[in-house]
Amino acid sequence: MSRVATQLKFFNKISSTTVEPQILLNAHKYSGLKLMFQQQNHNGHMGARKFWHEYLPTLQFYNPDLQFQVTRVKNEDKKDASVPCTLEILDKENAVVDSLDMRNKQGSEIMQELLEKLEHERVAEEDIVRL
Amino acid sequence: MSSKERAVCGLKMLFRLPNRILPLFEKCHVRSLHVFPCVKAEETANSVVSKLSKDQMKKREIRRLAQRKAAARRPASEHPLYMPVNKALRFLRAAEVGQPHSQQTLSVTTTVVSERGAPLLSGNLSFPNALKSVKVAVFTNDEQQAQLAREKFNCHLVGGTELVERIKAGELALDFDKSFATPDIANTLASQIGRILGPRGLLPAAKKGTVSDNLEALLADSMGSLPFRQRGNSVSIAVGKCSFTDKQMLENIVAAQKGVKFALSNQKTKKPSLLGQTTLTSTHGPGIVIDFA
Repeated sequence: MSRVATQLKFFNKISSTTVEPQILLNAHKYSGLKLMFQQQNHNGHMGARKFWHEYLPTLQFYNPDLQFQVTRVKNEDKKDASVPCTLEILDKENAVVDSLDMRNKQGSEIMQELLEKLEHERVAEEDIVRL
Repeated sequence: MSSKERAVCGLKMLFRLPNRILPLFEKCHVRSLHVFPCVKAEETANSVVSKLSKDQMKKREIRRLAQRKAAARRPASEHPLYMPVNKALRFLRAAEVGQPHSQQTLSVTTTVVSERGAPLLSGNLSFPNALKSVKVAVFTNDEQQAQLAREKFNCHLVGGTELVERIKAGELALDFDKSFATPDIANTLASQIGRILGPRGLLPAAKKGTVSDNLEALLADSMGSLPFRQRGNSVSIAVGKCSFTDKQMLENIVAAQKGVKFALSNQKTKKPSLLGQTTLTSTHGPGIVIDFA
């Protein structure tokens, strides 16, 4: 695959091929999401990391005004399971409306649960950017 | 070549013996079982480097330069990865989501197509929306000038010979972006810490216009402007952060464009250099071709 084709695939992954997070959030209601998880995978933090890497870019792409804060905690000790693995939904005043525990879940499961909790509408077909 | 010579040659290849031991081997008439083909050093060197003759190499170089020039003249919008700046920023912000703020720097990289032996492109830039405050170091033994630099311009580091000693000993972190000096200390600087500051492009030199008797004028001119220079075939300039608005980013990109164009027009070459493909990229994100030239 050429350099250009790889790059186009990367852009399309952000804007069109990742279908689930192609949603418009109600901008009057939400100000953003706040995620917190470990840098390391152990104790069930892998799904959270995958969710951040695979779904958040698309969410940001279609909701440019929302703030996504990601806090990654470094924790090398595998026995220490005290690091929270949470996703918090923030409203206009930055107060937590709803939260989600991401531990021991896959990225796609987290996305589905988030869709159930959020008030949203899907991006119209003609607005989806394809390169 | 006699069999004896061949055997010695083979031994040379095998053991790489120093010449003074070789006569010993020549004296004893032992014939080695394996005879290696004798290849002279200059022959190997030539065959490894290239099979092309000098003439062909020259032709190839000219052809490649012409190709690069043609590519540079083509409009950016023909490139498959071309995007208008605001769309490019939307993609870059998406790619950069959730990264620490300090790692969300957007930068512009442009290739420079120039004749062989042309001086490297370099210059100064000042942005309407600064990324960070510029830290300046001033080297002088003149107390009056030092006082001025400290009070009027609020320079990060000010000092004379004792500052040079401290940098030489590695006590100070080299976190300044540019430096100035007075002529009385310039020679000491070059000899003492030229090896430390030189590779970072921080050494004051009369040729660069950073050594002067009148530091006040020099500092007033360049306060708030950042230096840039060509590395290899390209110039890379950090123009903003992901948190900047589209308008701020555009202003900064235009400022960068003006700075680079100015440096290009001031370059001392026979034939003017060209600006080639320009990409806008972020720390973790992809590179996107934009209009620049």
